[in-house]
Amino acid sequence: MRHATEGVLRRLLDEPAGVPDVDRRHVAGCPVCLDGLAAARADAALVDAAMAPESGPDVDLDAAWQRLSTAGLATATAKRSPTVRAGRSRPRLHRPVVAAVAVAVVLAGAGTAAAADWLPIFRTDKVAPVGLTTDDLVALPDLSAYGDLAVTADPRVHEVPDAAAAAAASGLDVPQVAALPRGIAGRPAYQVGSKASATFTFSAAAAARAAAKAGAALPPPPPGLDGAQVRLDAGPGVAAVWSQRAGVPALVVARAVAPTAFSTGVPFETVRDYLLSLPGLPDKVAEQLRTFTADGSTLPLPVPADQVTTSPTRVHGAPATLVETRDRTLAAVVWVQDGVVTVVAGSLDAGEVLSIARDLS
Amino acid sequence: MALRGSADGAVRSDLGEIFRRDYRQVVGVAARVLGSRDEAEDVAQEVFLSFGRSSVPAAEARGWLAVAAAHTALNLLRSGRRRALREEISAATDDRSVRDVAEAVVTLDERTRVRTALARLPRKQAVALVLRASGLSYADVAAALGMSPGSVGTTVRRAESQLRKELTRHASCD
Repeated sequence: MRHATEGVLRRLLDEPAGVPDVDRRHVAGCPVCLDGLAAARADAALVDAAMAPESGPDVDLDAAWQRLSTAGLATATAKRSPTVRAGRSRPRLHRPVVAAVAVAVVLAGAGTAAAADWLPIFRTDKVAPVGLTTDDLVALPDLSAYGDLAVTADPRVHEVPDAAAAAAASGLDVPQVAALPRGIAGRPAYQVGSKASATFTFSAAAAARAAAKAGAALPPPPPGLDGAQVRLDAGPGVAAVWSQRAGVPALVVARAVAPTAFSTGVPFETVRDYLLSLPGLPDKVAEQLRTFTADGSTLPLPVPADQVTTSPTRVHGAPATLVETRDRTLAAVVWVQDGVVTVVAGSLDAGEVLSIARDLS
Repeated sequence: MALRGSADGAVRSDLGEIFRRDYRQVVGVAARVLGSRDEAEDVAQEVFLSFGRSSVPAAEARGWLAVAAAHTALNLLRSGRRRALREEISAATDDRSVRDVAEAVVTLDERTRVRTALARLPRKQAVALVLRASGLSYADVAAALGMSPGSVGTTVRRAESQLRKELTRHASCD
């Protein structure tokens, strides 16, 4: 029979009863598998020892409960105890991954995002998720290796005092939240991002060098592509941010003019399809991107697939994408309507962000 | 109890019971990631603050808490760990004999390396490894992370193999 997989060997160390008899019998009589088992055991022991926490007395449950009661959950009604945690800074916790991703897409749009990769070059009429693992994100090719990327307008983000000022500075209808969810209170901080523009000029020579560096041959560029330009515009945008303790955003409602790409010389679809064929793009991502090609009107959201799940939904009659972290601590919903992309994200559950999104005025 | 007086009823009623049952485990998960018990207790407080306002079904609480503790601790590791470790080393080198200091620095160095490597792992691998190392069964890890029990071993093995490479690579450079 075939050898036991690494996963089976690893489980044998911890839960032999969870491994099928047939595998256990095979491993017991197989020198190859026994070697693999010994290697797994050695790695497990080494890592376990290195990760062992410092020793100390058992936790003090009563003191911990008291701390939670006085310093934390009672803030809605009770006074905060000044003695608890005095003199210690709060650790930075609950980084709003989804909110950060969503706001980066909305506010930075084709500016910083396009400098790092080429995903946002699609003209945006609707939003669909791209499943990316962390490894895939790192492996995405930098578009600057395939030509010149000139940022003609940097997105500048600044805070303004209120919704009226945000509307005046951005020219957008600032979304108003009808009712805040439980646990979130107070007035939001308003941020406005200016319009960003960048121009990408494809260079066959640069692309060939990049391909050679990656040990691959450059697919022959379609006629007219060498020197063709794609202009990327994004913004302006506006975000309302409600913060909780320690200044961490609890709720973000953001809206921006959706990123748009204009091409010269060759049809945009030709540029896109060629970029899809460049060496360095993971097959899986390329495959997913190809499904978006119907009208080139999709904004792929680069969300890390190992941390979030996405599902389609509808908001204000428009197709929307709901993003939830697998630990259910964060959720976001994104949709595009009339060339404007809107995001509601926060340390909330999916029902709460949807409810806020659907009640926006 | 102060927790029960919330005017808007936002705090779940079974919080006290679940806190007493699972607080140790939550601290244990965070301590595996961070090494420091004090920081692990800070993380546990944050996790229970979120849990207290959540509507996570009680039956899923244990897995939810463990996953939340691992993510929160890994986020902390990524954001502020380097400075904290420098402070640890600095504290360890105060008022000790030279021999103690050398041992403390070597130990802390290994801890730093394993935790730097842990922060670099794909998040799912890191969380699976930490949950398993904290005593959760393969079935519990699988349920908490939405994986099949069969893939837990593979994921944990990959994580351990990567961490071993990081540890031995540095050791061989010494």
